[in-house]
Amino acid sequence: MNEVLPVIEVRDLHKSFDGVEVLKGIDFDVNRGQIISIIGSSGSGKSTLLRCINWLEEPDSGSIRIVGDRVGIRADGKTPMSEKELASVRARAAMVFQSFNLWPHLSVLHNVTEAPVHVQGVNKDEAIAQAEVWLERVGMLVKKDAYPWTLSGGQKQRVAIARALAMNPEVILFDEPTSALDPELVGEVQGVIGELAADNFTMVIVTHEMDFARTISNEVVFIDKGVVVEQAAPEKFFGDPDTERLRQFVSRYR
Amino acid sequence: MDWNAWITLFEGAWVTLWISGISIALGIVAGFGVAVLRNARIPVISKFLYYYISIIRATPMVTLVLFLFVTAPYLPIDIDRWIIAVAALTINTTAFNAEIWRSALATFSREQVEAAKAAGMTRRVMLRRIMLPQMMITSLPGLVNEMTLLIKSSPAIAMVGLADLTRITNRITAVTYEPLPPILAAAALYILMIGALVRLQRVADKYARRLAM
Amino acid sequence: MNLQDWLTVWINIDRVALGFGVTVLFFAFATVTAFIGGCILVYLMEGRPSFLKTSLRSGLDVLRTLPFLIVLYLLYYGLPQVGIRLNAWTAGMIALSLYHASYYAEILRGARVALPQGQIESAKAHGFTSFRMYYRILLPQMVLRSGPLFGNQLVGCLKDTAFLSIITIFELTAAANDLQAVYFIPMPAFIVVIALYWCISLVVEQALRSMGRYAKHRGLSYE
Repeated sequence: MNEVLPVIEVRDLHKSFDGVEVLKGIDFDVNRGQIISIIGSSGSGKSTLLRCINWLEEPDSGSIRIVGDRVGIRADGKTPMSEKELASVRARAAMVFQSFNLWPHLSVLHNVTEAPVHVQGVNKDEAIAQAEVWLERVGMLVKKDAYPWTLSGGQKQRVAIARALAMNPEVILFDEPTSALDPELVGEVQGVIGELAADNFTMVIVTHEMDFARTISNEVVFIDKGVVVEQAAPEKFFGDPDTERLRQFVSRYR
Repeated sequence: MDWNAWITLFEGAWVTLWISGISIALGIVAGFGVAVLRNARIPVISKFLYYYISIIRATPMVTLVLFLFVTAPYLPIDIDRWIIAVAALTINTTAFNAEIWRSALATFSREQVEAAKAAGMTRRVMLRRIMLPQMMITSLPGLVNEMTLLIKSSPAIAMVGLADLTRITNRITAVTYEPLPPILAAAALYILMIGALVRLQRVADKYARRLAM
Repeated sequence: MNLQDWLTVWINIDRVALGFGVTVLFFAFATVTAFIGGCILVYLMEGRPSFLKTSLRSGLDVLRTLPFLIVLYLLYYGLPQVGIRLNAWTAGMIALSLYHASYYAEILRGARVALPQGQIESAKAHGFTSFRMYYRILLPQMVLRSGPLFGNQLVGCLKDTAFLSIITIFELTAAANDLQAVYFIPMPAFIVVIALYWCISLVVEQALRSMGRYAKHRGLSYE
């Protein structure tokens, strides 16, 4: 693997829904080991950007690369990827959803082993051993035989994080991971993400929590009305923003 | 198929329609009676009705029709074959309708019952004036669905020698030696009849949901 | 109806057992093939609507508005006209499987529509292709959620097997009719046979109840 290539490289990304342009030419890089938070008001396009990265939404134009490989379009630049190709690219960027989206018919352990065994073809025993390691890390190993409906929101999200980690992705995409949680459960999930940050996992986090973004990220990106308005290290981003728009946005959250 | 064949086919359709129609009407009323009776929790009767519903639910229409047909001659009176057909269909559909009515009774709003009692209504008046009109609407989708099931199992009445819409195709074939056209034509008539009921069910569903609001 | 009549049934119990076996065989075979068929049909209708998918759906809608017997007639009496001659058993098996597959497809489609979109997105994000996603993630949930509807369908299928007696298959109802015609014992013969149908339905219900408990344990309790 080439260390020089960015893990994610987004170029001139455009996306419209029903004639309304949500992304208006986004350029955006994530390097190995970086933790990038994306901030913006609701409707700014930040979630759409994240969902375009693993092709859950199909962008209208522009390109996305994960460690140099195009997502969604074949190397020739025009043919859409087959479903199989798309699936294997997607697996390199794991995603943690706002609403957890655990698979309710599978136990905690099998939620984590499902994709490694049935998508990546990992040997079952090996996958279970790995899953137990990840579950231990997020503090959910004791619940490995429980079913999702018995878990609290915070526990579900920790399992979802273990499930994402189990795919050995290049990057983990977090789509507002704490927005659906009761306030008292936000801390445990942020704590787990913080530990991963300390271990230099590459992560992109769409969030509303300013304090969380400030403490966890190397860089913070501000998206407004479909464009990247500002991108900077947290101290500068929150302390001395360049643009008036960001200044206003940040001041609202003080 | 010539004109005569079509007329024969329509005769078959008519047999299916009127035998089913009478059974549906009887079955809806009888089903309501069974549901109310079961709800009253009278020891022996309640148990009996429970087994009646459970057994009839599992008895094929063909078997039921045949059963009545072969045991009828042992009764002291002469019974017409159409009565046997209607009886079999009615016994069957009553069991299913009773379950539909019973669930409407069970889920009926307690608040409304209390309001009716507070207004000084007797049980009979409450049942007739408050519960039944609403239950008719909430049960209608289920009842119409049961009508389609009844018509789909009605070809069983051919076992008593009645030439319904399905059996009549054999008679037409016996003349024309071409089985496919009458069977397809009969299928088309079933699609018309049951399709109309399915449409009615959708409308009923909409009304029932409006009431639930 | 006296003891002698009941003894006659007992002496001829092998006839009843044969009919019972044939009924169970048709019922079991059709249940398995119709269920698998239903699963496949719903998979074929997955994804963006196309002309083929819409026609498939209308075809299934039409099939469900027909009585089972007319489908059986079509296969057994109708097809020979175009040179396809099926024996009674083959026609019976095909008709029963095909007809009930259209109902299973409808039940599963209903459950499919009710599945939350997030389930599908998280499966995609974890690299599942559509076929794998369907049978690993979606189908198990669709099946567990449809429990009570399967109950009605299974009993419906059991009851439709009795129509097979009309095309000369010696199943349970034919056995009862056979006994009563030979020995003039309509009451005992039919009571035994109806009791047997009832027993099968009780077994089916018990099986579905355990499935319901299992689904509940997995948090997929159905309303």
